[in-house]
This record gives sequence, C-alpha cells and structure tokens, in this order.
Amino acid sequence: MKQILEQLPIVIGALNVGFIQTLKLFFITLIGAFPLGLIVAFGAMSHFKPLSYFTRIIVWIVRGTPLMLQLLIIYYFPGLVLNTPIWGSGESGRFAAASISFIFNYACYFSEIYRGGIQSVPVGQQEAGLVLGMTRSQIFFKITLLQMLKRIVPPMSNEIITLVKDTSLSRIIALQEIIWAGQAFMKGSQGISGAIWPLFFTGVYYLIFNGILTILLGRLEKKLDYFR
Amino acid sequence: MKKLTVFLLTLAIALSLTACGGTSGSTNQTDMEYVKEKGTLVVGITNFAPMDYKGTSGEWIGFDADMAGAFAKSLGVEVKFVEIDWDNKVLELDGKTIDCVWNGMTLTPEVTNSMECSNAYCNNAQVVIVPSNMFDKYQTVDDLTDLAFAAEAGSAGEAALNELELNVTPVKTQSDALMEVAAGTSDAAVIDSLMAAAMVGKGTSYSDLTYTVALKNEEYGVGFRKGSDLADALNDFIAASYADGSMLKCAESYGVQATLIEQ
Repeated sequence: MKQILEQLPIVIGALNVGFIQTLKLFFITLIGAFPLGLIVAFGAMSHFKPLSYFTRIIVWIVRGTPLMLQLLIIYYFPGLVLNTPIWGSGESGRFAAASISFIFNYACYFSEIYRGGIQSVPVGQQEAGLVLGMTRSQIFFKITLLQMLKRIVPPMSNEIITLVKDTSLSRIIALQEIIWAGQAFMKGSQGISGAIWPLFFTGVYYLIFNGILTILLGRLEKKLDYFR
Repeated sequence: MKKLTVFLLTLAIALSLTACGGTSGSTNQTDMEYVKEKGTLVVGITNFAPMDYKGTSGEWIGFDADMAGAFAKSLGVEVKFVEIDWDNKVLELDGKTIDCVWNGMTLTPEVTNSMECSNAYCNNAQVVIVPSNMFDKYQTVDDLTDLAFAAEAGSAGEAALNELELNVTPVKTQSDALMEVAAGTSDAAVIDSLMAAAMVGKGTSYSDLTYTVALKNEEYGVGFRKGSDLADALNDFIAASYADGSMLKCAESYGVQATLIEQ
C-alpha cells in the first residue's frame, strides 16, 4: 500500500498523458463522424440506386469487419502494398491513421441511427410541408431534422459511450492511449516495473468520463423533450 | 434484372476504385540509400530495460538505444525511437513505418526468416518463473512436467516449452505471463533472464515470485527489412566498436557486459 502511494503521482502523470490521447481521439472521431454519418445516411436513402447500393456495401464492409482489423489495414496497408508509407512513423501518423479508422467506422454506425431517426418521422408531415409550398430542404431542416435529433439521442448515447472504450483498440497500432500507458508499468517505465495496478486503475478514468457523458446526454435528452 | 445490372455495375466501380491505388513505382533504391535520403533511422522498440527504456529526462536510453544512436551517427543520419506493438514488428518493418527492430530481439528461426538480421551481439537465457514457496520443488527441467505454463506468444520461451512438450498457454506479453503466475491462473511462466532479473523479487509487484531453471540459451540480434543492406553495415559497425572497446564501455554502463558476444 505504501509502495502504491509512492508510485501514485508518477502513474497518474503517465495515465493523464495517455488519457489526453484517448480524449483527443474521442472528440476528433465525434467531430468527423457526426457529419459524415449524415452524408452516408443520405447516400443509403438515395433514390439514385447505384449510389444507394454502393453506400450500403461500404456500410456492410465497415460494420461487418472488426475495427481492430480496419486499424491494422489503414495503418499498414499503404506501406506494405502500395510501398508508400503515407502515415510516417511518428506518434502523429499513428494518431491520424487511428482517427481516420474511427471516423469511418463510427460514421457507418451513426448513419444507420440517422436513417432510423429520419424514417421514423411520419411521411404525412412531409406531405403537409409540400402542401404548404415548402422546398425539400426546408422540409428537412424545419420539420424532419429536429424531431430526428430528439429521437436519436438514446441510441447515440449508447454509441458515444461505446466509443470512449473502443478508443483502447488503437493500441494495436501502438497509439499510446491510456491502456497502453497503464500497461507500460507492467514491463517497466519511469523507474516502476512489475506494477499491475496502474492497468486496472485506468478503469477509474473511463468510469468518471462516462459518468460525466451520461449526465450531459441525459440533460440534452430532457432539453429536447418539447418535441415529444 | 435491372436491379442486378445496377448491383454489378456498382461492384465494378468499387473494385476499379480499389485497383487505382495499386500502382506504385518500386524503385531500385537500396535500404541504405532510402534511410540516408530520409535522414533518419527509425528504430522500433518496446519499453524494455536495460536495452531500451526512458531515462529521467524522458529520452530513450539503454544498451540497445545507445548503440542504435551510435550506428545512426556512423551513417550520418538522425536516430528516432518509436514504440511498437511487438506482435506487429514485421508489419512495421515491411510497411516502412520503422527501419529496424533493435530491442533485445532473440534470433529465432521465425525472426531470421522474416527479417534481415545482424550477427548476434548478446547472450540471454529463458528462465522459469515460479512462486517463491515452490522454488525448492522445481530445480531441473524434469521437475517441470506437471506445471501449466504461460509464455509470450511467439517468444523464444514459448518455443522452448513446446519443444519440451509442456503445457503452455500463449499470452500477449512477457509481463502478462508474470501476471498469470501472480494471479494463480498459471503455475509458472517463462520469460527471458534479463527481464526476470529486473522484474521479479524484492521491490516489485512480484515479490512473491522467483526464477529457477534456465530452459534455453539464446542470442540477441538486430532485425532489418528482408534483403536490406543495412544488416551488413551494422555487422561491420559492431565488429569495429567491439574491437575499439566502445561497445564494452556502453555495455558496462548498463550492467550487461557479461552477456556480450565476441565479434
């Protein structure tokens, strides 16, 4: 116990550095995947059949294969097969490759949630809009979008919380996020070696952050209540 | 029918898109020229004291790290250390995200088949880790038959156990193997002796563990991309620094001088 107390400041310092990477990956994925998911959803719902089929095939591939495999392919494929290592070898290259993988993967999941939300708004409302002489984009932004937002908050919360934990998969391409930082103490890092507890201690970070997210998303849901 | 045509057409577009990326000029550049043109030698490592680890000011030090720095200097390029996932070392090399693996790497047949390796520069052994209270019971290889082992997947330790036809569970890293023993989910682990000396016994989380039998002596080497001319250059460099005593001096500062192999 005394030993753990002595190690605590060093471990927390290292875990904080790792957690910042986790958070960066989390927010960048959300910023990228929110709009991209909407584009993918429109693609899948398009009346132009080739586009719709093409989008659905992409969604099938991305949702049908493990994210860990996608990370490996996106990071190593350019150098291995195309002979041009576009990511470079530094931390930033690994981060960029992880971001792209996560944005793609999550955009495909989000797209299905968006599609469900959009299609859950009764067709009658769109017809009413047409009768009132609104354009298609007016109908989407003034009638469909806000009702869709309200309906997708619960399933989105699920995905967002899963995303926090999924970021740990990026350690497969040696992105040094918090799990990596915790594991480093098992082998030896900064004078501490053979310590198991930092790895399990990372769970506290995930729990607290997910707790905050749950509260914020709950508030958002309440705020949107007036749509019913 | 129409739908089928549309489907096939879409598939054709998708395939041609992927095919576009496939063209790339393979130049006749040697690996040495590639590294010199880039100006950096990127060394793939894991955090592995006393070979590669972080010093107090955060820079990478250790016997391997210092030698890698000296080798890069002799080539006239900068050295850059990158932490990698050990399972992916060949992927990293072939994908050109690193230029060499220089991290106390045991020269197993798997390693020498998939990389261009330097001559061995260091000796090491694979040792058996057991709880301290079991130490007296397991003193020779013949005593080990009833134990359930954990060892790093693809490591020399796992190979040695398989050779002896002992019961082994592959785990992700050597430290995971130690955790298995500490948690009682395996009876014993096999890791390399340099690591065992640093990680078990007093002052670690594994103060209840100790090491006994040495299973296999092994040698460390440096791995480059298959067909790389840098391996030969490194052999010359190692021979020269062994001859002028600078390698021994470097080894002494990390306490590994006893393991050096004469060049």
